[in-house]
Amino acid sequence: MTADTISAILVSGIVLGSIYALMASGLSLVWTTLGIFNFAHGALMTLAAYVAWTVSDGAGLGWGLSAGIAVSIAALIGAGILMERLVVRPFYDHRDILLITVMTTLAATIFLEKGIQLLWGARLKQLAPIWPGKVELFRTAISGQEMLIIIVAPVLLGALAFFLRTTRIGRGIRAVGQNPDAARLIGIDVSRLFIITFAMSAVLAGLTGILLGSVRLVTPEFGAEPLVKALIIVIFGGLGSLTGTILAAYLMGLVEAALTFFIGIYWAPSMIFLLLIIVLLLRPQGLLGKVVR
Amino acid sequence: MSDPANALEVDGLRAGYDMSDVLLGMSLHVGPQERVGLFGPNGHGKTTLLNTISKVIAPHAGRVLFMGEAIDGLPPQQIVARGLIHVAQANRLFPDMQIMEILELAAFTPRAQADRKANLDYVLGLFPRLAERRRQQCKTLSGGERQMLSIGVGLMCAPRMLMLDEPTLGLSPKLKDELAEAIAEISGRGIPLLLVEQDIAFILSLVDRMYLVDHGEISREIRRGGEVDHQEIMNMYFGADGAR
Amino acid sequence: MAGNARTFMLGALIVAGLLVPFFVEDTYIRHLFIVAFIYGIVAASWDLSLGYAGIFNFGHIAFFGIGVYVTGLAAKLIGIDPWLAMLIGGFAASAAAVLVALPVVRLQGVYVVLVTFAFSQLVLQLVISQSAVTGGTQGMVRVPTIELFGHNFLRDYKFGYYYVAFALLIVSAACLRRLAHSDFGLSIQALRDNEDYGVSRGISVGLQRLKVLVASAFFAGLAGGFYVIYLRVASPEVFDFSVVSLVLSMVLIGGTASIYGPIFAALGLTFVSEGLANVEGLAEGRFILVAVAMVAVLLFLPKGLASLLPVLRRLYGRVASARRQR
Repeated sequence: MTADTISAILVSGIVLGSIYALMASGLSLVWTTLGIFNFAHGALMTLAAYVAWTVSDGAGLGWGLSAGIAVSIAALIGAGILMERLVVRPFYDHRDILLITVMTTLAATIFLEKGIQLLWGARLKQLAPIWPGKVELFRTAISGQEMLIIIVAPVLLGALAFFLRTTRIGRGIRAVGQNPDAARLIGIDVSRLFIITFAMSAVLAGLTGILLGSVRLVTPEFGAEPLVKALIIVIFGGLGSLTGTILAAYLMGLVEAALTFFIGIYWAPSMIFLLLIIVLLLRPQGLLGKVVR
Repeated sequence: MSDPANALEVDGLRAGYDMSDVLLGMSLHVGPQERVGLFGPNGHGKTTLLNTISKVIAPHAGRVLFMGEAIDGLPPQQIVARGLIHVAQANRLFPDMQIMEILELAAFTPRAQADRKANLDYVLGLFPRLAERRRQQCKTLSGGERQMLSIGVGLMCAPRMLMLDEPTLGLSPKLKDELAEAIAEISGRGIPLLLVEQDIAFILSLVDRMYLVDHGEISREIRRGGEVDHQEIMNMYFGADGAR
Repeated sequence: MAGNARTFMLGALIVAGLLVPFFVEDTYIRHLFIVAFIYGIVAASWDLSLGYAGIFNFGHIAFFGIGVYVTGLAAKLIGIDPWLAMLIGGFAASAAAVLVALPVVRLQGVYVVLVTFAFSQLVLQLVISQSAVTGGTQGMVRVPTIELFGHNFLRDYKFGYYYVAFALLIVSAACLRRLAHSDFGLSIQALRDNEDYGVSRGISVGLQRLKVLVASAFFAGLAGGFYVIYLRVASPEVFDFSVVSLVLSMVLIGGTASIYGPIFAALGLTFVSEGLANVEGLAEGRFILVAVAMVAVLLFLPKGLASLLPVLRRLYGRVASARRQR
C-alpha cells in the first residue's frame, strides 16, 4: 500500500466523515432533546436540494446559487416548524411517543418524497457546485465541493457545539433534553425550545442536502440512503451524545473509505451494516453512549 | 376571604393524575412575608398541591392567586416569570451539566437575568460547597449537594415567593441544620415561603403557621404557639378510622 | 362475542371468501383480493411479534422480502418446484429471524427499532448489490409459477391463484391464532407486560423472543414466496418505506388485540389504496393519502391502537429509564 493510497483513503474518509457528521448531527440533536427519531430527516435533505435547484437553476427561477441556498434554508426552517407542529407536538404527552413519531415521521417522509415526485417529476437534477473545479489535498485530487465540505462541516459543528455549551438558549436545549420537568420549573418554555431544536435540525439537514446536491444526483429518494447512514452513526456513536455522533461519523467515513478500497463498492455497504450489528452486540451503548439498563 | 396583599391564595383546588383527584378542594393562603408549612403523610396531596400551583399539572377546579393575580390559567414558564418558584422534591436537575452552568441557566427568565450576577454571588455565598465544586457535573453530586443546588437554582430564578418540597428529604441531621439555616436566611430577606415537610421538628422551627393536609384537604391550621395535637397527627398517619 | 357466535361468523366469512371468485369475475378485483390476502398474512404475522410479544421489530418487511427473493431465486435459478420454493422462502425468512434475534434479544426498547431497521437495510443492500443474481434495482423477471395437477394458473383469470392465496391466509391465520392463544402466546404476552415477573417465573426471555421472531418471520416469508410466484416478478420495491407504512398501518388500524384485526385492515386498506391508484393522477399521490391517513388515525383514533398501548407503555418505560440514565 503506497503513501498515495493511504492518502487517498484518508482524504476520502474525511470527506465522507464530514458529510456524515453533518447528516447525523441534526438527527442526534432531535433525539437528545425531544427523545424521538425523525425518520423524515432524509426527506428534508431532499427538499432542500430541490428548492435550491428550483431557485438557482436556469430551468427553474434562475436566480443563482446564493439565492437558491438562502431560500432553501428559509424553506427548511418553515418545514421543520411545520413538521414539529403536525407530526410531533400532538403526541407530546403520549406515553408511546417514540413509536408513534417513528410512524408519523415515516408518513411525513412518504408525503415529502411523493410530493416532490409529483411536483418535480422523477428526472434527475443536479445542483451547481458552490466551489467548482478540482483541488488537491495531501496529493489526492478531490472536487472543490468536497473540499468545501471538509471545511464547512467542522466549522458548522463547532459553532453548534459552542452554541449549545455557552448560550442561554443552547444550554436551555441541553437542559430540556436532560430533564424537561426541571426545565419547566426554571421558566423554560419547553415547547418553544422543541420547535427551535427541530428547526435547527432541519437546517442541518438542509445544508447537507445542498452540499450533497452537487456531488450526487438529486432524485426524490435522494435522502433515503443518508438517513439510514445517519441513523447508524447516531446509534454507533451512542444515543444521547452529540460528540459521540460526530466521532462516529468520522470513524465511519474512514472505515467506509477503507472498506470500499479493499472489498469494493458492492460489498462495502453490507459490511458496514453487519459491523454495526456486531458493535451493538458487544457494546449496546455505542461509542460514547450511556449504558442502558 | 380574598386579601390582595396575600402572596399566595389557593381556593377550592381540585387536581390529580389520570382518573382520580388527589386534591379534593384545597384552600389555603400565604401572607405577604409569611412562612407557612404544609405537613401530612405521603400521598395526601402535598406534592400534588405544589405541582398544581406551578402548573406541572393542571387543576380541574378552583383558583390560585399569586400576588393578587390569577395564575391557574397560565403555563408554567409564565408562573416562573412572575416569581413564584417551585423547588421540587428530589429533583435530579440536569445530570450532564456543571453546577455553574446550571446556576447560570436558572436565571432564564428576563427578570431573573437582570439580577443574575447578584443572585449568583448570593447563592455561592450561601452554599460555599457549590462554589467549590462549580465545574463538577450534576450527576456526580451527593444528595445533600444536589439539594443545595436545587435551592440555589430556585434562588437564581429571582423568586418573589418560594415553594419548597421536602428540601431535607434523605439528609443527615447535620445537613438538615445547614439547610434550615439557609432557608431561614433566605426567608429573612423577605421572601414568603411555603414549605412542605415530613420532619415536624424541622417545620416547626421555621414556620409561623402550619397546615395539616389530610386526604387532599386541609384538616387543620396551626399557628405559632398553638397546640400541635399529637393524637390528631397519629390518627392521620396510622388511621384511627381504618385504612385510607 | 360469544364462542358460538364467533365460530359462526368465522365460518360464514370463510364460506363467503370461498364464494367470491364465483361472483367476482373481474381479473383485476381478484388480483386485489389476492394482494390483500398476502398483505394480510404479513400484517397478521407482524402482529404476533409486535403486538403480542411487544418486540418493535422494524424489519418484518425484510422477512417478506427475503421470502420473495429466496423463493424467486430458488425457482428461477435453481429450478426448484415453486410450491417447494415457497416453503423454502418461509424457512429462509425464519433463518434470518434467528440472525436478527441474536442482538434483539439482548437489547432494549429503542435499540430494537434501530437494529431491526438496520437489518432490513442490510437485506436491501445485499439484494441491490448482488445484482448479477438478483437483478439489482431492476429486479427479477420470469419467475416460474406453480402448477397443480396440470391446472394452468396463468390462463384461468387468477381463479386458481385466488384459492391458493385464500388457503394460505386461512392456514396462516389459524396457525398464528393457535400460537397466540397457546401457552407460548401467553408467555410472550406476559413477558411483554412485565418482563421481570416473567423471568422470575422461569420464562426464558431470549428463547421466547427467538421463537416469536422465527414463527412470525416464517409466515411473512411464505407470503413473500407466494407473492413472487404469483406476480412472477421480484423487485427491491418490496422494501420501500411506502410498503412498510402500508403494512404497519394495517397492523395499527386492525388493532393488535387479535390476529384477525390486521387481516381485515389489510383487506380494507388494499382496496382503498389500489382503488385510489386508478383515480386520475393519484397513482403516486395515493401514498400521500395513506401517509396522511396514518397520521390522522394516530391522532384521532387511539382506540384502534388501544391494545397497542400496554405494549408501548412498557417500551416507553424502558426508553424513559434509558433517557433518565443519560
